[in-house]
Amino acid sequence: MEHARHVFRVLLVLLLVIVVVIVGRSFLVPKSFGMYGNYRYDNVPEQMAARPPLHGGARSCADCHDERSAVLAKGSHARVSCEVCHGPLGRHVKDGDVVAKMAIDRSPRLCGNCHRKIDGRPPKFPQVVFEKHVEGGLGPKGCLDCHDAHSPKL
Amino acid sequence: MPEITGYAFPNDIHVHWSLMIVMYPYITGFVAGSFIVTALYHLFGKNEFQPVARLSLAASFCFLLVAGLPLQLHLGHPERGLFVMITPNFTSAMAGFGILYSFYLMIVMLEVWFVWRGEIIQTARRSRGLKRAFYAALALGTYDTSPQALEIDHRAVKVLSAIGLPSACMLHGYVGFIFGGIKANPWWSTPLMPVIFLCSAAVSGIALLILVYQVTAKLGRRVIQADTVSAMARWLWFFLIITVTLELLEIIMLAYENSEEWHIISPLLTTRLQFSFISMQMIIGSLIPFILLFIVTVMNRYLHEKVRNTLTVMASLLLLLQVFSMRWNVVIGGQLLSKSFRGLRSAYEPHLFEREGILVAIVLFVLPFVILYVFDRLLPIEAPPGAHAPDPHGDAPPAAGVSPAA
Repeated sequence: MEHARHVFRVLLVLLLVIVVVIVGRSFLVPKSFGMYGNYRYDNVPEQMAARPPLHGGARSCADCHDERSAVLAKGSHARVSCEVCHGPLGRHVKDGDVVAKMAIDRSPRLCGNCHRKIDGRPPKFPQVVFEKHVEGGLGPKGCLDCHDAHSPKL
Repeated sequence: MPEITGYAFPNDIHVHWSLMIVMYPYITGFVAGSFIVTALYHLFGKNEFQPVARLSLAASFCFLLVAGLPLQLHLGHPERGLFVMITPNFTSAMAGFGILYSFYLMIVMLEVWFVWRGEIIQTARRSRGLKRAFYAALALGTYDTSPQALEIDHRAVKVLSAIGLPSACMLHGYVGFIFGGIKANPWWSTPLMPVIFLCSAAVSGIALLILVYQVTAKLGRRVIQADTVSAMARWLWFFLIITVTLELLEIIMLAYENSEEWHIISPLLTTRLQFSFISMQMIIGSLIPFILLFIVTVMNRYLHEKVRNTLTVMASLLLLLQVFSMRWNVVIGGQLLSKSFRGLRSAYEPHLFEREGILVAIVLFVLPFVILYVFDRLLPIEAPPGAHAPDPHGDAPPAAGVSPAA
C-alpha cells in the first residue's frame, strides 16, 4: 500500500473533479428545469410576459363595428375572423382607446392568400386563377370591383 | 439552388448536416482506432505494437480533444453545446455524447498519466523553478518510482485499457448509432451502421498511426521496426476486409430485397455518389489498398523493408481517403435523397471559406497534430532508452526504435 500512494492521490483528484462537476452542474441547471419536461419551465411565463397578445378576437371588433359585423355574419366570410384580413386588434386599439387607424389592405394579393388556385387546396373551396378570372384582367380596385370583402358572394 | 430530379419535398433540399458532421465521425474514428492499437499492446500482449503504443495513446488523446469541435462549429449557438452535458435530453441520441465523451476522456487522461508518470517524475527531479512546479503538480506530489510503484502503474494501465477499449468502441459505435437510429432514412437506418463505423474507425486509426509512426521515425532518424509495420499492416488488412465486407453487405442486402428504398439508393449511388462511393470508397480506397496490404501480408518475408514501408504508407494514405469518403457518403449521401424516396437533390459542395467549410475542416484535421506536437514537447512520446516504461508482459520488449529492424 505504501507504493500505491500515487494511485490514491489520482483517485482523490478524480473524486474532486466529479464533486466539482456535480456541484457546478447544480449551479448551472436552472431551478425550474424538468418541472414539466426537459426544458426550463420559467421560460414559458417569461415568453408570455414578453409577448402580450395582440389579437382580440371577432367579438372585440363588434363592440365598435356592429354594422360591419352583422354584414359579415350573414355572408360567406362569416367564419373568417376580422383580424385575418385587417391585422391584429393591438395595432388599432390599446386599453380601450384607438391608438392608430386600422390599415386596410385592398390588394388582390390579400384575397389570393386564400383564393389563389393551388392544387393542394380542396377542390370545392372557391379559388381562382387571377389572370383568367376576369376578361381583360382585374380592374383598378382589384377584387373589390365586384366583391364586397365582408360578404363576397355575388 | 440545388437541382432536383424526381420529386422532393421543399424541406428535403437542404443539406443541414454539413462537412463538419462529416469531420465529427472522421476525427472520433481516429480516437477509437488509435486506442484499439494501444490496447493491442497493453491488453492483448501484442509486443510488436510496443513502438507505437505510446504514440497511439497520445494520438487518441489529442484527437479526442478536437472531437467535439466540429459539432461546436456546426451549432448556430456554440455556447449551447455545453447543455448536452448539463441537461441531457435522453430522448435524443446526442444526449449520449456528453456522458460517453466525458467518461472516455477521463479514462484516457488517467491512462496517459500512468504511462508517462515515470518521466513526469524524472523531469520534475531534473528541473528547477516553474518547470519543476509544473511537473511536480503533474506528478501529484508523489515521486515514487520504485519497481513496486511501477508495477502498480503497469497494472493500472492494463485495467484502464480494459475499461477504455469498450469505452472507445461505445463512443464511436454511438456515432454510428446516431445515423443508424434514424428510421426515416433508408440510407442510414440499419443496425449495421454502428458496427461499420467502428470497424472503419479501426481502419482509419491504424492507417493514421502507420503514417505518423513512419514519418516521425524518418524525421527523428530512428529505425522503423519491420515487425511493427508488418503487424500493423496485418491488422489494417483484417479491419479493411471486415469493414468493406460490412459496407458491401449492407448494399447487397438492399439491392437483393429490392424494396422501395433501393429504387432511390441505387440512383443515389450511381449518380450523386458515383465519384465518392464507387471511385473513391470502393475502388481507390478499398480495392487498391486491399491488393497492397495483401502483398504486404502474404508476401511479407520476400519484401524489402523499403518496399514494405512504401506499400503500407500508400495503402494507409488511400485508406484515410476511403474512410473520409465513407463518412461523406453516409452523412451527405443520406441528405441528398428525398424523404418521399422519389427525388434527389444535386450534390452538396462546401465552400472554402465558411464556418463549416473546407478550410475549417483542414484546420480541424491538422489541429490534433499540433496538439500532438505540444504533447510531445511536454511528455516525450518516444520513450528514452532505459526509461521506466512499464513492461506489460513480463518479457522486456525492445526499446522503441533503437534496435535494428528484424
